[in-house]
Amino acid sequence: MELRPILSALLRNKTGPLLVALQVALSLAILANALFIVSERRAVVTRPSGLADEHATFYIEVRNLANETPEQQLASIKRQTAILRAVPGVVGAAHASQMPLSQSGWNTSVAVDRRQTHESATTSMYISGDSLVHALGLKIVDGRDFLPQELVDLNETTTRDLPGQVLITRALAEKLWPGASAVGKTMFFGYGEDAQATQVVGVIDRLEGAHAPVGEGAEYAVQVPARLYGNPGALYAVRAEAGQRDRVMKDAESALRKASATPLILRLKTVDEDRANRYRSDVALQWMLVTVSALLLLVTCSGIVGMASLWVTQRRKQIGVRRALGARRLDIVRYFITENLMITSCGVFGGVILGLLLNHLLVRHLEMARLPAGYLGAGALLFWLLGVAAAYGPAWRAASIAPATATRSV
Amino acid sequence: MFGYYFNLGVRSLRRNPFLTALMVLTLAIGVAASIATLTILHVMSGDPLPAKSARLVVPLIDNGPTIGWSPADGPNDDQMSYIDASNLLKSGQGERRTAVYGLYLPIEPPRKDIPAFHAGGLAPTHDFFAMFNVPFLRGHPWTAADDARAADVVVLARATAERLFGAADPIGQRIVLDGAPYTIVGVTDTWVPRPRYYRLVGGDRFGDGEEFFIPFTTAIRHEMGNAGSMNCSSNRDPGFANLLTSECTWIQFWFELRSPSDRADLQAYLNNYANDQRKLGRLKRNAPPGLYDLMAWMEHLKVVGNDNRLSVWLSFGFLALCLVNTVGLLLAKFSVRASEIGVRRALGASRADIFRQFLIETGVVGLIGGLLGLVLAFGALALIGMQSKGMAAIAHMDWEMLAMTFVISVCAALLAGLLPTWRACQVTPAIQLKSQ
Repeated sequence: MELRPILSALLRNKTGPLLVALQVALSLAILANALFIVSERRAVVTRPSGLADEHATFYIEVRNLANETPEQQLASIKRQTAILRAVPGVVGAAHASQMPLSQSGWNTSVAVDRRQTHESATTSMYISGDSLVHALGLKIVDGRDFLPQELVDLNETTTRDLPGQVLITRALAEKLWPGASAVGKTMFFGYGEDAQATQVVGVIDRLEGAHAPVGEGAEYAVQVPARLYGNPGALYAVRAEAGQRDRVMKDAESALRKASATPLILRLKTVDEDRANRYRSDVALQWMLVTVSALLLLVTCSGIVGMASLWVTQRRKQIGVRRALGARRLDIVRYFITENLMITSCGVFGGVILGLLLNHLLVRHLEMARLPAGYLGAGALLFWLLGVAAAYGPAWRAASIAPATATRSV
Repeated sequence: MFGYYFNLGVRSLRRNPFLTALMVLTLAIGVAASIATLTILHVMSGDPLPAKSARLVVPLIDNGPTIGWSPADGPNDDQMSYIDASNLLKSGQGERRTAVYGLYLPIEPPRKDIPAFHAGGLAPTHDFFAMFNVPFLRGHPWTAADDARAADVVVLARATAERLFGAADPIGQRIVLDGAPYTIVGVTDTWVPRPRYYRLVGGDRFGDGEEFFIPFTTAIRHEMGNAGSMNCSSNRDPGFANLLTSECTWIQFWFELRSPSDRADLQAYLNNYANDQRKLGRLKRNAPPGLYDLMAWMEHLKVVGNDNRLSVWLSFGFLALCLVNTVGLLLAKFSVRASEIGVRRALGASRADIFRQFLIETGVVGLIGGLLGLVLAFGALALIGMQSKGMAAIAHMDWEMLAMTFVISVCAALLAGLLPTWRACQVTPAIQLKSQ
């Protein structure tokens, strides 16, 4: 292969090839990092919440303007839950303390041992006096759901003692007792002297917390079997039959209003809305990165093609001389493709180093994740192909010119 | 001579419209991407109160538990317990001071045809309005006396007042808030700082602003819960009275100093205060109280997210790529004009003349690229603004960024033009003329 003459020709006129190599290096570095972040965010945004039918699930926040005593409130909660369950098209309804992805709710630290000096995990806390597993359509993978006698009523203005049983998610179970069944184990709310002990009775396959952070804690959640009352306001999670959500929402609202003697303030929200709100900025970042990546590729392509055709035009006479001296078309095309491959290889090599460097900066200053080698590898392959494709057209055109025409003006 | 070269530049650019368009477009999208992302960063991290940001300070008193704690750890939380907040309110330190927490309460309008609704509000002291330059449309803030006796008074935001009373003057009227009647003493003009720097912890930092204000002491007297975040490091006893004596942190606090130099005095006061509290058996950690001025506080709470920084970094990387691309295009463009340069040099133009001429030509490219980039940046910002109301308020360009666009694009074009121009100057007239 005629590598040496190509190399020495390149070295005689370094600026152009250097610019192309630099473009390839910059694009590869940015592209690999940007696409990695996009795929990471995509994975976050599409995480399942654990709800059986997210599109059919919504919730209602109810505030009664009458000043009710805690006992009257408890009665209202039970009555309203029953009203909601009676609405046609409702699959399940439950009084609950919070909803997944709603970005408003309680977190608590948990530990497996009272003597720990740090918590084992911070988890989202669902408190409900009904079966959330039934209402939201969650899946139990180990143990069981709460028994009816375990569901208690709790006045939160007079007591803080939570019931002794909990359900936890599979992710939390894995974190607390890796590799072992969590059912029957004792878990503590907090740690230290006054940490409250509780027993795990079942493990839920998936349930995202109210805040669903980007990192590992998204699916850390516990469920406590208590109907909390005493503070004004109540929240009901409702799952409708598939496709019936909007109608059920209207009917549920009017049913609640009709049954109340005093005016109610109601706020209805769908899980779909909450999901969109929760991930709005992540989706926006993805769009921004995808747009920049697309423009980046476009600019780099135009750069490579432009430079390749410029060189070919500049060397038309030489091509003619070579052809006249017996070089085949294939030789000419091969020459340009080899040349371009050498340049893009330099660029790819620089791009891999630059990409790693950029990722190092992102990890260090912006808390991004480490870039897997696959992205750089795929990027390298892409730019090699791009280099060949960009050089092929102009080279083939140049090689197709008859030697007589090409050398006429020499 | 500048005008002549400028003319030459425009002419030469028109001679090769495709190449010129490519250059301008490349530069424009590079500039647009970096300006759009930079604008977001600029607005988010801008000083919301330039005149007094150095005098507005947040004290942080670390009342976290010692179990598992080492002095290298940061403060336990970014908010304060009621004990510390009420003590600091009484301290008399600084020119003004306020504790702040969020409320979410039902409002019952006096007119029966308007249904009751939930509103988000704030519980500060009367100092708050002067500290943060809250503009008043009608009436005035409540008084220090109202704070002292926890009076049932309310200041409404303009939008809330219009919703409840239309165009009528609501001062002196009563509304029912959370079941109790409150007298309206003032109406603020539209005041929606984004980010909501006066209360960064809890709630939407880029939300729609407060709907009402009632005195901090009144909210406490009515046992109103906090609509925001609360951090309790140990199990507390139930009930509001127990919350007030607990070490749960849920209140934000601000001092306004007379001058930035009073900060050392305040720090000394806080150190003494913390020591006194330690003697009383509180504040188990031996950590000095923190003091943050407004800008440091926004930095501490990461108002500008890592994602915003990432966008800026990557778009500037993209701009660099566009520059390299433009260098290539300019090289190609100038290389075909070697003969023209040869003639000019032979006729007496010095290298410096050639240098000036070609640099002005690239400057023209930069200017047009900047103009187009500006249009594209407006488009990009409009797109970014579409994601939410808060974002729409942030994604707007000010004069600084407008000027910045042109500085960036012209500098970028000149930078890109340096190498090709220098190469153009190296043309030897003799060789060029001989080959013609």
